[in-house]
Amino acid sequence: MSVQTIPGAAAADAPQSSRWRSLVTQESVSTLVVSVIVGAAVILPLITLVVSSFKVLDSGGFDTTWGFDNYKRLFTDRIIPKAFVNTLIISFGSTVVATFFGVSLAWINARTNCPWRERLEPYNLIPFFLSPFVGAIAWHNLASSKTGLLNVWAREYLGIETHLLNVNNLWGVVWVTGIFFAPLVYLFVVGSLRRMDPSLEDSARTTGAGLFRTTMTVTLPLVMPGILSGAIIVFVTAAGEFGVPFKLSAPYGWETLTTQIFSKAVGDDANHYLGATMSMALGAICAAFIYVQQRYIAPRSFTTVTGKGFRPNVLDLGPWKWVAFGYNIAFIMVAVVMPILCLFIVSLHPVWEGRIFLNELTTINYEKTLFWWQSGAIKAATNGIYNSFFLAFVGASIAMVLSLVVSHMIHRTKGFGARLLDFLCVVPIGFPGIVLAMGVLVTYIQTPIYATLWIIMLGYITRFFPYGQRNISSVMLAISEELDQSSRMAGASWFTTLRRITIPLLKPGIFAGWVLLFIIFLRELSISIILYTSGTETLSVGVYYLANFENEPLTCALSIAQTVVLLICIIVFRRVAGREALTA
Amino acid sequence: MVNANDNRYVEVQGLVKWFGNDRAVDDISFSIPRGKFLTLLGPSGCGKTTTLMSIAGLHTIDAGSIRVGGVVYTSKAEGLFLPPEKRDIGMVFQSYAIWPHMTVAQNVAYPLEIRKVARAEIDERVAAVLRLVGLADMADKLATQLSGGQQQRTALARAIVSKPRLLLFDEPLSNLDLKLREQMRVELKRIQHEVGITSIYVTHDQAEALVMSDEIIVMSKGRIQQKGGPHQIYARPVNAYVSNFIGVANLLKGRVVEVTAPGRGAVEIEEGGRSIRLPCRLADGIGPGADAVVSIRPENVRARRENGDGRALEGEVIQAIFLGNCVDCRVRWGEYEWKVLAHPRDRLREGEKVYLRLDPEHTLAVLP
Amino acid sequence: MSAGEAMVALDRLNKYFGAERAVNDVTLSVAPGEFVTLLGPSGCGKTTTLRCIAGLERPDGGDIRIGRQTVASASQGVYLNPEDRNIGMVFQSYAVWPHMTVFENVAYGLRVRRAPGHVIKQRTMRALELVGLAQLAERYATKLSGGQRQRVALARAIVYEPKVVLFDEPLSNLDAKLREQMRVELVRLQREVGITSIYVTHDQSEALVMSDRVVVMNKGVIQQIGDPQAIYARPANAFVASFIGVANLMQGTLIGRSGELCEMEIPLGEGRSPLRVSAVGGEGAAMGQTVILSVRPEDILVHLKAPETAVGNLTEGQVIDTVYLGNFLECRVRAGTHELGVQIDHFENLQPGQKVHLSFKPEHGLCLTG
Repeated sequence: MSVQTIPGAAAADAPQSSRWRSLVTQESVSTLVVSVIVGAAVILPLITLVVSSFKVLDSGGFDTTWGFDNYKRLFTDRIIPKAFVNTLIISFGSTVVATFFGVSLAWINARTNCPWRERLEPYNLIPFFLSPFVGAIAWHNLASSKTGLLNVWAREYLGIETHLLNVNNLWGVVWVTGIFFAPLVYLFVVGSLRRMDPSLEDSARTTGAGLFRTTMTVTLPLVMPGILSGAIIVFVTAAGEFGVPFKLSAPYGWETLTTQIFSKAVGDDANHYLGATMSMALGAICAAFIYVQQRYIAPRSFTTVTGKGFRPNVLDLGPWKWVAFGYNIAFIMVAVVMPILCLFIVSLHPVWEGRIFLNELTTINYEKTLFWWQSGAIKAATNGIYNSFFLAFVGASIAMVLSLVVSHMIHRTKGFGARLLDFLCVVPIGFPGIVLAMGVLVTYIQTPIYATLWIIMLGYITRFFPYGQRNISSVMLAISEELDQSSRMAGASWFTTLRRITIPLLKPGIFAGWVLLFIIFLRELSISIILYTSGTETLSVGVYYLANFENEPLTCALSIAQTVVLLICIIVFRRVAGREALTA
Repeated sequence: MVNANDNRYVEVQGLVKWFGNDRAVDDISFSIPRGKFLTLLGPSGCGKTTTLMSIAGLHTIDAGSIRVGGVVYTSKAEGLFLPPEKRDIGMVFQSYAIWPHMTVAQNVAYPLEIRKVARAEIDERVAAVLRLVGLADMADKLATQLSGGQQQRTALARAIVSKPRLLLFDEPLSNLDLKLREQMRVELKRIQHEVGITSIYVTHDQAEALVMSDEIIVMSKGRIQQKGGPHQIYARPVNAYVSNFIGVANLLKGRVVEVTAPGRGAVEIEEGGRSIRLPCRLADGIGPGADAVVSIRPENVRARRENGDGRALEGEVIQAIFLGNCVDCRVRWGEYEWKVLAHPRDRLREGEKVYLRLDPEHTLAVLP
Repeated sequence: MSAGEAMVALDRLNKYFGAERAVNDVTLSVAPGEFVTLLGPSGCGKTTTLRCIAGLERPDGGDIRIGRQTVASASQGVYLNPEDRNIGMVFQSYAVWPHMTVFENVAYGLRVRRAPGHVIKQRTMRALELVGLAQLAERYATKLSGGQRQRVALARAIVYEPKVVLFDEPLSNLDAKLREQMRVELVRLQREVGITSIYVTHDQSEALVMSDRVVVMNKGVIQQIGDPQAIYARPANAFVASFIGVANLMQGTLIGRSGELCEMEIPLGEGRSPLRVSAVGGEGAAMGQTVILSVRPEDILVHLKAPETAVGNLTEGQVIDTVYLGNFLECRVRAGTHELGVQIDHFENLQPGQKVHLSFKPEHGLCLTG
């Protein structure tokens, strides 16, 4: 044996064991700092919201007393109870629509021989990245009863007297919200459909069950937890959606909780405390649903993936595959192509009355909403370009750093802190943006960050960093902890390991998460609308401003600009994240 | 500089580790001479991996101390804890833990870079160690392009490149398929022998332990059952647990009735109303009158069709499973079923009457 | 056996994946109650053959009969769906449905067949008793261990008394100890129920332990069909010899024949005169033809000194290394250009580099062609 290969003088320069300092390490200090920041950011607004909801504004509008009057008003107010019912109708309705489209499309793409299904999938997912508010504007121009393009054509070519469709009501909101949130359900379902161990179905077939029976008794029950999870997320997101009802139904008499919170909390006779109370009510509903989903449904997800790279069973539809194909294309038409096309057409007209005038096409709407250097530019719109890009870029970056550290702590350290953080990361998902924004507003209204971009950014990060965290966590769970440990064993410190091993390994997850947050921040409306002031408008606030105070063509022009940027981001996202990133 | 005694190069004293209310490692002490290969062997949950992780410093310990080559790694009593990166250990994990964003050469160079070795020397040492593990032509491959066996070799190269004080192996072969595993056992042992780094190897696979180790520690429920060389552990287990865990054994309860010479005597066993006296060897700590378990390996039981001297045990073959090079038989004797390994050419048939002969040399009375 | 008695009959079965011929003219008949194993390395076509029988793959050529019914025939255009073939199947991943209880999993096949409630209850419980899971009937499948899931899958496959049960490597996800235990148990059950079984595995010891007959496959083609002893003792070719058990294979030339035995000459490389051995087999080989000698490691004896009496074939070698495996010592010996594996029953102190003499009896050597 060659003893000389052992480092002979190893003990000479050997480090001496330090005193028991396991409590003060790079790791534990970072963990503590981040826990405190995250805890404060998430908990503070919620506590302030609860406290504010019990403050009652006197008739003078200056002094407050403590009491339950705000809660009483939830029931006695002329509009609020109706808005409450409308919110529930919209949530239920759009959940049904989104689940129908989401599940059927996922099944077609994952389990049938529908032609070009691999190519169609990215287009099925596009609405997930676009702004539902812009979708509502588009559908308003497609199918409002008087000037909607489809209705004008129906009168002209089909000879229909009044109108074919009318989206200016609750059902319009249900429709637009439903098709825009269908990809959410799709993403919850498609993974388990696509990677289900085929022998689960094969065994039903060999046992004697036919195709239909196998689908009903095996396939569907196995993906049911995914469907339910997706449906609950849609329900909650729809309840918190502000832009769609604001555009389509509120002006026509169908208020929702969100439009009511907005009109009570913002404006000259604003009553933040009543807004806070309404937010409490909306938040309570959403949190309850998310609790049910996290507690009872998510853990029931069946492990149908056995680790081997299976090809799923693909059903030969025969000639019906063209029906499936047509259905798929139809969805893409109503959810993506028609809305964008319509926005584009409208945006080229100086005024819009439901008719296309090819000889009057103009780019003036783009100039007024985008060219900030021109004198005729509308500041409320052009401000949004800089503000949104700043918010999206800096916000996404901060959120991802936070996500990285939080994920690392959740998955690589054990104990109470990790579990607490995990919980804190779920909380913001349970609260609609507008609720969280109310919390942030009442918390920070008397601090210097009020009326700056920073308060909006704070709202964005608090609400959405769990999305980034999830993106990183899924990658982190897939890579073995031993990869980190072997770096420690090789002699690298915690921080060096993070820098040289962990972060490079997580790079795809970090970048995918960053782009996702960038997209979300770029189109965000319901937080911005509560927290913006003159000068801190975002892109979506600009669209809101134009829709509210200017004309349709200007609104459509800025909408198209926002949509184009988002589409570019989607392409980038797919490049870096790959096809499986979202469905993982 | 005087190192610790080479015979006690690694010294673990009174190691205790709790997980919640569970005493995962329960007061373990052992030492390893410099350059030797020690295996911690036991079923899952026996505390072998926890012991390894304690030595690696990947978690703290609740009592005891660990010293390697004169350096205190951790000592609860003195309140000392050396973080893992300062322990100068090479470790090979079950999942290999090859960093997928680096090439083979980059993976192997990493420990040297951390130690701030000069670039030229790094290149030289990486090339040398890759030759040693047989991956010289794979240096620029990404880890993801490697097969399981090649990842394993890369992990080994990375662990030994910095010539650490100690090598730790956490079930490194368990993800490989059977044929490759058998081949890698021999290979791994050869490389360890060549570099001469003291090694601790954790496995639940007794064949692996027998093939590779200089010494084996058999563990169960956080405690050491036996420590010894492979042949000693296999041929002279100290108790029924070790006897059954290493290989297969016929175990019969009995009582020592006679001690004829040091380490030799006879055991009386009761079976189906009969009482039989078996001459045997006695394990340490077994005296006259003591309750004992008789352990006889299936390959040491001879099944014949004739009784010979009339002292054989008469039984009936109730199962004969053909395994190719041998036949795994069950022979019913009273209520007891003997496991007997017979030669295929004996052509034992189910239902046949046979006589079992036991060799006193290979009949061992051990602690229950 | 005549084709009329067969429970399952494959006639010139063919299956292509793209240009690759996964199953190549496979013809096989399985008698009622028989346990037949398809054995081969991964990609040898054994699983594809099984899936063709199950109806999970559609064959490109040939016929499949189960009982008296033709379930697939490429020439007649017959193809029955899996649910219409009255078979049971146990999968590698167990495929126990996680959203059902153990009872519901097993009862499924009876419900599909519209059995009355009391029959379902009675037969399901009987099947569960048979596999030893009666007390876990109301447990959800997710709460079971691997071995228990395996039993559920088995009970589910046999409860409606199908004509044949198909096994697709059912034990390969279990750990070694449990696997050995389940082998024996599975055979016991199969004998007890008397159900015709076709079993796919890549594990040769599994095949030897469990089967009435073994079908060895490679590259889509059947290499040999026979009972375990015959396959082990008289492999038909070098592939079977090395796939079943361990075999030392050495290439040589056929130089003579005397009675049952044939004489072979095996070159040992430069500087050593060729080894002349006599062995059994070699039927059909011509003088001067290249043949392969196969000897099992346990049939080779090691002598420290040259044996004085005639012991059959004899050669000299040098120990390369030894591996201690408890009940025996595995020793590699270099003889000329060949490396031979030898299994030694008793513990002997052999040092690397040591000179030894190797011998084996002529009846333990086998002359193979091709």
